[in-house]
Amino acid sequence: MNTAALLGPYHADRVLAWENGSPITYGRFLSDVGALADLLPEKPTVINLADDRYRFLVGFAAALVRGQTTLLPPSRAPGALAQIARDYGTSYCLVDGTEQVGQLPSYQIPKGTGSPTDTAKVPQIPIDHPAVVAFTSGSTGHPHPHSKTWGSLVAVARSTGTRLGLKTSDHMTVVATVPHQHMYGLEASIMLPIQHGMAFHVGRPLFPEDVRLALAGVPSPRMLVTTPLHIRACVTARSRLPHVECILSATAPLSRSLAKQAETLFQTTVYEVYGFTEAGSLATRRTVAENAWHVLDGITLHQESAGCSLQALYLREPIPFPDLVSLQGPHRFVLHGRGTDLVNIGGHRGSLSDLNQKLNEIEGVQDGVFFLPDETGTSVTRLIAFVVAPGKAAEHILSALRTVIDPLFLPRPLHLVPHLPRNETGKLTREALLGLLQELHKEERHGT
Amino acid sequence: MSDVSSLEAEVAKLIVRTLTLKVDPAQIQPEEPLFGDGLGLDSIDALELSLAISQFYGHQIRSDDPDTVATFASLRSLCQSIEKHRTK
Repeated sequence: MNTAALLGPYHADRVLAWENGSPITYGRFLSDVGALADLLPEKPTVINLADDRYRFLVGFAAALVRGQTTLLPPSRAPGALAQIARDYGTSYCLVDGTEQVGQLPSYQIPKGTGSPTDTAKVPQIPIDHPAVVAFTSGSTGHPHPHSKTWGSLVAVARSTGTRLGLKTSDHMTVVATVPHQHMYGLEASIMLPIQHGMAFHVGRPLFPEDVRLALAGVPSPRMLVTTPLHIRACVTARSRLPHVECILSATAPLSRSLAKQAETLFQTTVYEVYGFTEAGSLATRRTVAENAWHVLDGITLHQESAGCSLQALYLREPIPFPDLVSLQGPHRFVLHGRGTDLVNIGGHRGSLSDLNQKLNEIEGVQDGVFFLPDETGTSVTRLIAFVVAPGKAAEHILSALRTVIDPLFLPRPLHLVPHLPRNETGKLTREALLGLLQELHKEERHGT
Repeated sequence: MSDVSSLEAEVAKLIVRTLTLKVDPAQIQPEEPLFGDGLGLDSIDALELSLAISQFYGHQIRSDDPDTVATFASLRSLCQSIEKHRTK
């Protein structure tokens, strides 16, 4: 059976994680993983909700050792978790707090119980083992599972490291503002470090001042794994960040001007990573210098009649791009925009048809539609919704929505209207919805 | 203690303007939760709001500050934190 090691290079006393300025070594990690693996129940799938990056990794690795699959819920919305719990009824949860998902049994990931042993062996994991299942919101209203083999996670981590020129001897430390339960966070803040003998900060800083303190709490050289949103916040706040070798940005397009500002202000190099759930990270670019994306080693691009697709040894079949791209040879492409059904709010991708279905399932809603206005200015553009729900208050619909969709997709605002401007075929055009929005704004100005 | 101070009125306007909310600033109850069930704000809002607060009041909000959860609990607690830390 083909296997790949859980860790890249292994040295027991090398630092893997930094927690409040204290180091946790790779040796202690293997011992923590061994101890937890012995305690895990005999179940095929696990929902790992740990907020602490180190404890998440211990749970993830222990599950791998036991041949189990980690589920990555699309959001923390109670409804989304309950849906996964229903679909994977034989799962259990790993937590580092008090979270509970439906009736699933919960296990605490213990904090540093193991003492490192010199004899610890780095576990070997079969490359075709389904290591994680990530979910996309399909157009059916049901989350669509995408299984990722251990081999594919390792391949993406290694090719990303090669692209960034990472050397084990650098022993770089990652500080990440993104959750490790999302594909990008898992790839860049968990897999990339463990496959290159790197370290990471256990926390997930949010505010610019948090980012500064987290970076200051780990030794140089440092890498910041983040999003355009956090980069803009740090640039706007003119944060005095400690020196970072490079910044990795993903989840939404980063403008060249913002990348330039960040490079100048923080004296660093900004790379963007492009990927999507079905394929994982697949290309990078140095935003200030190039418009085209360069695919990672081992990936090839294909132009087909229906659109573009990509192929790699670790992907079972060619995967079509969800975004509009044009190819520049087999290894480079230019991104032109999103497919019309996809929305991206603050780095969270959603499907409009999925959101619409959930809206229309709410009791009392007769007709309703989500709408993404044209982007203006620099702040995050939010969805709005038009809803026909006689006798219902907007608050009632909002609180029902809150239980089934990611809070980032909650409409802002939700307009209650007598009817939607559907055309004779029942379709709602963007023009008609824009017209409706303008009308509502006009009414507001006139105070009617 | 339900009187709205002038700082609270000012910050309420800042919240509504920064986050393009469809609420009358005067309707934001000083003790009402800003996140979750109250105004229903999320982490992107927290980030946007923290930027506006640092620009207007010179107060850099951080989440490992033991007070942060309390800071964002309500308009009133946010204003108390601004009052304490403001440099502008």
